[in-house]
Amino acid sequence: MSTETLTATHTHQDEHAHHEHHEPSFIRKYVFSTDHKMISKQFLITGIIMGCLGMLMSLLFRIQLAWPDESFGFLESLLGKWAKGGKIDPNYYMALVTIHGTIMVFYVLTAGLSGTFSNLLIPLQVGARDMASPFMNMLSYWFFFASSVVLLSSFAVETGPASSGWTVYPPLSALQKAMPGSGLGTTLWLVAIILFIVSALLGGINYIVTVLNMRTKGMSMNRLPLTIWAFLLTACLGLLSFPVLLGAGLFLIFDRSFGTSFYLSDIYLNGIGAMTNSGGSPIMYQHLFWFLGHPEVYIILLPALGITSEVIATNARKPIFGYSAMVISLLSIAVLSFIVWGHHMFITGMNPFLGTVFMYVTLIIAVPSAVKTFNYLATLWKGNIRFTPAMMFAIGLVSFFISGGLTGIYLGNAALDVQLHDSYFVVAHFHLVMGSAAIFGMFSGIYHWFPKMFGRMMNNTLGSIHFWLTFASAYMVFFPMHFMGLAGVPRRYYQFSLIPEFGIWMNVNIFITVSAFLGGAAQLLFLYNFFRSIFKGKPATQNPWESNTLEWSAPIKHLHGNWPGDIPAVYRGPHEYSRPDRDLDYFPQHEVGNGEPVHYEAPAETQKTYASDNKDSATKVFFSSFAHLFLLKKA
Amino acid sequence: MNCSKLQQCRKIVIFFLQFIKNNNKFAHDLKKTISSFYSRMNTITKNIFKLALVAGIIFFAASLISKSVDIHQLKVDGYSAETIEKPLFGTDEIVYEAPKEVAANDAVATRVKWSLLLFVIILIMVIANAFDISALTAKLTGKQAINSNNVNKWIMLIFLVVGLSATAWEYAVHGKHALLGNASSEHGAIYDSMFNITLILTTIVFVITQILLFYFSFRYAKKDGQKALYYAHNNRLEVFWTIIPAIVLTLLVLRGHQTWRSIVYADVDGTKSTNIEIFAFQFGWNARYAGDDGILGVADYKFISGKNKLGLAYEPEVDSLVVELKAAILSDQQALDNLPKTLESLKADWQAAKDMQDQEAMSSIKKEIEEINCGDRKDDLNASIKRKTKQLERIASIKKDPAVYATYFTKAEEDDIVTQELHLVKNKLVTFKFRSRDIIHSAWLPHFRAQMNVVPGMPTRFTFMPTKTTKEAKAENGPDFEYYLYCNKICGTSHYNMKMKVVIESQEEVDAWLKTQQPAFKPMPAVIAVPAVYLKDSATMTKDSSKNITKKKLALR
Ligand code: HEM
Ligand SMILES: [Cu+2]
Ligand SMILES: [Cu+2]
Repeated sequence: MSTETLTATHTHQDEHAHHEHHEPSFIRKYVFSTDHKMISKQFLITGIIMGCLGMLMSLLFRIQLAWPDESFGFLESLLGKWAKGGKIDPNYYMALVTIHGTIMVFYVLTAGLSGTFSNLLIPLQVGARDMASPFMNMLSYWFFFASSVVLLSSFAVETGPASSGWTVYPPLSALQKAMPGSGLGTTLWLVAIILFIVSALLGGINYIVTVLNMRTKGMSMNRLPLTIWAFLLTACLGLLSFPVLLGAGLFLIFDRSFGTSFYLSDIYLNGIGAMTNSGGSPIMYQHLFWFLGHPEVYIILLPALGITSEVIATNARKPIFGYSAMVISLLSIAVLSFIVWGHHMFITGMNPFLGTVFMYVTLIIAVPSAVKTFNYLATLWKGNIRFTPAMMFAIGLVSFFISGGLTGIYLGNAALDVQLHDSYFVVAHFHLVMGSAAIFGMFSGIYHWFPKMFGRMMNNTLGSIHFWLTFASAYMVFFPMHFMGLAGVPRRYYQFSLIPEFGIWMNVNIFITVSAFLGGAAQLLFLYNFFRSIFKGKPATQNPWESNTLEWSAPIKHLHGNWPGDIPAVYRGPHEYSRPDRDLDYFPQHEVGNGEPVHYEAPAETQKTYASDNKDSATKVFFSSFAHLFLLKKA
Repeated sequence: MNCSKLQQCRKIVIFFLQFIKNNNKFAHDLKKTISSFYSRMNTITKNIFKLALVAGIIFFAASLISKSVDIHQLKVDGYSAETIEKPLFGTDEIVYEAPKEVAANDAVATRVKWSLLLFVIILIMVIANAFDISALTAKLTGKQAINSNNVNKWIMLIFLVVGLSATAWEYAVHGKHALLGNASSEHGAIYDSMFNITLILTTIVFVITQILLFYFSFRYAKKDGQKALYYAHNNRLEVFWTIIPAIVLTLLVLRGHQTWRSIVYADVDGTKSTNIEIFAFQFGWNARYAGDDGILGVADYKFISGKNKLGLAYEPEVDSLVVELKAAILSDQQALDNLPKTLESLKADWQAAKDMQDQEAMSSIKKEIEEINCGDRKDDLNASIKRKTKQLERIASIKKDPAVYATYFTKAEEDDIVTQELHLVKNKLVTFKFRSRDIIHSAWLPHFRAQMNVVPGMPTRFTFMPTKTTKEAKAENGPDFEYYLYCNKICGTSHYNMKMKVVIESQEEVDAWLKTQQPAFKPMPAVIAVPAVYLKDSATMTKDSSKNITKKKLALR
């Protein structure tokens, strides 16, 4: 389970033969490790801890939303002055929502997801001994760690943590007296985010360089597993967009503490009077923020899509359908994601013409997303599907991607957004397409690569139960929120019982909260399974999922440098599953073939025999799947 | 307990006994796993574990008990519990007159709810253990009890059916509230048709793709001897499903463009509509009508004062603001000079409070002392002086330059009417001119499909035409119905309660209502009723200023 530096094997290892080897100290091995596998575990465990905290926060504020007029003794014992009389204080409610969003978006689904799997898989799947700069990689983790500590420390501040939403829009966040959370709490939030950006940049540069420069022999770009493509593009997105957030954050710090007016103008604040700031624009912050913010949602989503692509191919025992289409759609999503940020700002009063432009580009981005969905479906078609927990979470991701993606078509439409903006419809949308989908990608990755990380297997049955409970509860929590939003319920409201119109949603709110608790309880299953399996799981076999990718050729016991002896060379793409010319239904990338073709192109004749419906045309294949469905034709 | 129930119980007990008897291997394994689990944990962790468990249970029980005690005590103290307790599924209003049983039932229901939650959590842990053990047993006995792949495949199908039924149910039951019924505005009708088109299209795609996803998962689950089809790509197919979504989306976006235009270009040059200013502040709204002259007077945040809440450029008010500001600067200056003295007297106060054992006073005085000692008080006062000086400078520069002066002080503001409700005329185009005093707010009128952010320092506007009066809406939705304008951009503590009532009426009704409202600065007739706005405002004002005065007193001591 641990990163074992070479003890017995190192003599065989040519690269390391020249210099002295000794067991590194505990600190070098487990704490300030430069080994990508250990760093990946550090990211994962920190991410899981942050995820638990984020989830607990959501449960706390869900209690408030479900029973706004009741008081709960335990809340007061838990939160002290922030829940006097057993009822969460409105400021603290906003703080919880803010930190929940921040943690989930940045700490769990950016660092926890990319940090874990980019670190684990990039060197192992492209065939490198480690990251290009292991030291920077270590720094990346520790900046992330410091950032988490700073963020969480804001709970110890007297005025509470940042509470202007995870977007921390000024002037609310810029004026220290605008609400309690805008005091020291927001300063800490900003410091935390700046540390976080440093971490993301250090990591991102490393990922890009490693993928581009350190691929093993034969690993051409078009043989990269889709995970690596996704991580590469994610890192590019991060590298290009996080600096903009850094700038936005620094300006905000200046405005808050040094009297500048980047975002402030014409303000009269209660209890202070007319402020001196003039000439700034709060909308400028929004432009800067969403210039990161929109790529950020793809920074979250792309790794999840990459992971599921590999997991689905492996477990459906089929090549991913349309590898190049998948890469091209990833690429075009990545490029387009930089020019659609304005769809978060349709009603900020920007020029209506600009709104039109952002509407067009936003709906264009839906096309590659649709392509990905259809390709996933086509991959499942006529597969031989093994329902490992990883596979089920991947299927769950596709389901969420569809549900959440479709509501994006409403929100990307400037006209429709006039009504839907900042309503619960938005909450439903992003929780499905970004929250649940990416979390499911992460779970999928954890279940799939757990044997690689810890040398042991997780329990499949528990994993299945975890999946079904989580899947059902996620839909139960987020699906009804669409209808609340459509009926005019605004988000970021502390209490709905003051407005009679919202009375009809009280029962729904209770249902959502109870479902959220169910989902929370299901995560206990996961935690139990995860931590127990680290120590007591069934020992893993070399290639437990009979996968093609390179990481499964590395020894189960972690080696510094990943492979004893030479790094294996690569002879084919990652998806040669179920080739008709082979008995085994997989064909690892590094396996030396016996003169088989790199990609198997079934001759037209034989293909017909394999795909009985694929008589003549592609369109027919597509529609024949409907035929199975509705006419129950025998396949 | 009747006979058949007893029999049932007996049956269950016998079943369990037999189960255990037949499965003593299972029981053995269970014991073995548990004991090995325990033996692995050293005594300390074991104790911590136990302690945490016990503490958790006690804590939970205590919170339940304390709750019931609370209610009990309230009754003893002569308060009725009903004023605190509210119905379980809270309705719109606080029910003061609920019968006593309701409160008791609520408490019970709350307890039941929490116990249920705890139960679910424990159940899941138990299941977790059981499965872990069954897996172990399966390994030991070398048998796989069930083919999990088959089970999951069927759950996929069940999930699809249940999920789609639930979706249909949601559409039917919650969907009927979607968009709050028909739009009450002109562009709202276009909006609704755009929405419906999108809804229909996305629903079709949703159903088809979800069916395909789960059906494929079910249909192509692993079978012995089955090999997947090697089918890596098909360019024609991929082009096909790139082009189809592209076409559909193009149609949608073209239509969306049209709808967008109908919303944002309703009155481009601003000639067709009446202007009303919507003024937002932490935490409330005001509307400003132009009054008899039909022109909204100039307003500026620099002119905001206690009596001139919207900062209208009404010269007498501005002049008195200047006087106020100068006085405030002076008193700030004095406070600054007196800081050492204040510190002395605070220390004396602290001693006095200490002698009297007044903890509260001690801590508040200590806080103040700290504020002075660390220089915060000084910085605050300096900043305040700087701010006010700057404000004075800016006001002076406006008044100095005749050209600028003329653009500000137009006298158009005198008859402007500031209200706390928004009354609009049916079938008449209206343009809201938004202005925020402090934070970004967002004015959302969901029934009218209208929303626009209200940004400090940046004027925004929104034009639309209401088409349904409040009366008509009440006829459709019940007598309690009201239109509201909500704040829909997080703006601070009371964001959730920042709304303004909106009334749609005929022209005559609106005119009549406006007559009852007091113009802002019209030379007043002899006897006037002070408008509600200012009554409320001055109330909060005095509260604020009294606070300030005590502060100042402290500072000056
Ligand atoms: C445990 C399951 C979760 C529940 C019950 C939950 C629930 C909620 C709720 C009720 C809100 C407040 C919405 C509002 O008033 O605006 C919220 C906000 C948010 N959640 Fe979650 N959520 C969960 C998981 C996630 C995940 C996995 C993500 C990852 C993307 C996420 C990201 C966010 C964000 C970004 C916000 C917005 C915060 C803000 O308004 O500033 N949540 N969540
Ligand atoms: Cu976006
Ligand atoms: Cu607000």
